[in-house]
Amino acid sequence: MTECRCFGAVAHYKPPSTDSNPTLEDPTPDYMNLLGMIFSMCGLMLKLKWCAWIAVYCSFISFANSRSSEDTKQMMSSFMLSISAVVMSYLQNPQPMSPPW
Amino acid sequence: FALLLDFKATFFLGRYNDDFDDGEDLAEFDDNDFAEFEDVNEDPTVEVESEPPPKPAPSSIPVEDDEDEATVEIEDGQDEFEDADAQVSDMYSKYDKDEFEGYEKTNSPFKDTLIYQDVPAHLQNSWESYYMEILMVTGLLAYIMNYIIGKNKNSRLAQAWFNSHRELLESNFALVGDDGTSKEATSTGKLNQENEHIYNLWCSGRVCCEGMLIQLKFLKRQDLLNVLARMMRPTCDQVQIKVTLNDEDMDTFVFAVGSRKAMSRLQKEMQDLSEFCGDKPKSGAKYSLPDSLSILSEMAEVSDGVMDSKMVHYITNHADKIESIHFSDQFSGPKVMQEEGQPLKLPETKKTLLFTFNVPGMGNTSPKDMDSLVPLMNMVIYSIDKVKKLRLNREGKLKADRNRARVEENFLKQTHAQRQEAAQTRREEKKRAEKERIMNEEDPERQRRLEEAAQRREQKKLEKKQMKMKQIKVKAM
Repeated sequence: MTECRCFGAVAHYKPPSTDSNPTLEDPTPDYMNLLGMIFSMCGLMLKLKWCAWIAVYCSFISFANSRSSEDTKQMMSSFMLSISAVVMSYLQNPQPMSPPW
Repeated sequence: FALLLDFKATFFLGRYNDDFDDGEDLAEFDDNDFAEFEDVNEDPTVEVESEPPPKPAPSSIPVEDDEDEATVEIEDGQDEFEDADAQVSDMYSKYDKDEFEGYEKTNSPFKDTLIYQDVPAHLQNSWESYYMEILMVTGLLAYIMNYIIGKNKNSRLAQAWFNSHRELLESNFALVGDDGTSKEATSTGKLNQENEHIYNLWCSGRVCCEGMLIQLKFLKRQDLLNVLARMMRPTCDQVQIKVTLNDEDMDTFVFAVGSRKAMSRLQKEMQDLSEFCGDKPKSGAKYSLPDSLSILSEMAEVSDGVMDSKMVHYITNHADKIESIHFSDQFSGPKVMQEEGQPLKLPETKKTLLFTFNVPGMGNTSPKDMDSLVPLMNMVIYSIDKVKKLRLNREGKLKADRNRARVEENFLKQTHAQRQEAAQTRREEKKRAEKERIMNEEDPERQRRLEEAAQRREQKKLEKKQMKMKQIKVKAM
């Protein structure tokens, strides 16, 4: 078999820019991040425990779907915010959460 | 003996006398001034029987009010102060249920109005009342467990794929694995992890092509929500291979073959397929392809050229794993929707071969399944060489060039109005900028000179336009 490798014609890898194809990007981590922040704000302001718990879930989902190039600071801050929402709701009102039914 | 008793009575009385601070007791006191000299009754039963009448009254009074109790006792007689025991038993005998004949009846109205309060849950000190919280935490733990398991599974699958393909790739490409971070293009020899479910591999350094980007798009096994969604609607892992070619490596044609669903979807989504392959996807029966596959092609000659016997052999044997195969010299990705109407410039095109393969197993893949994808990689390599050799004949080439010119013209027509507007705005911007420059000029001398220069330029432009109009009129004549 003839040698088909060509060591001279090696092209460097160019990561595809996201500006050219915004549709190919998965929007899930960004949406979940935003949802998480909104729910944790609701949980803190309105003292709703279930909001705070949903915020924790949202930030976990956002973390699971995140790209490796994404900033970990953003992830950590949303996570901390949701944990603080849960803790504050329980400090203010230690009663257990009542189910909606 | 009587003296002793008297002494005791005095003693007890004395104690009680010290406690008597109320004035209201004084009256009773007077009556009983001589009570202390009375004989103490030794028989406790007698005093018990004499007690019922006044008892209901003191029973409703709190027990701690010894003074009232004592007052009553003094009224009755000092026979009760025999000894401490008798006194104690007297206190207890007060609550003897035989005594309180009418007590239950009087007590029942109280019972109805008694409200038993529930102890608030958080004071109950039982973990059971926090069952919702425990459920939530369990859910979170389940999510974390699934994240770890899914991540590991995806990682194992990727590694298995790479191990089975490594030899083939390394024999064909000089550079295998490049993450784009290092300045020199050196082979990293491993996959580049973009996500917990997407792995990239860039290969380059081969004749007939510029480079090849392989994307292992696995299912999101690390996200529990996705896992649950997949239980409703199963999907499979995909391997996407994109080979970019140099200009001399490929002739001008657009061709695609794949599953029916994929073909109809691509025809709507892809810019080049929608422009050059206007007809509906045709069946591949002519080339004895299975029914599940269909073909989109610019012209019949292209299909004949691509579908040679070896290609047909590959495709037929692995029809279940092929999602789509797309060869195009006008590849620019999916159609881009822009808010301001059509884009002003034709999108950049690149000669590309795109392959999308489905990993067998429909989600429940195991690392062993990756070996079955090696023949598909062989097909990719074969296609690269084939496309280099495939040349259209004269007729085909003419047709192809005409097609491309037509598409460009259409595009220009559609955007003509917009381009005019854009040019107009650009001209106005320039004028405004110049005017501003003139205004900002502090030196009045220079200002005048600049203004004159601008005026002269305007004059020249007008003259040119007039000349053009004259020429057109002459030509028309």
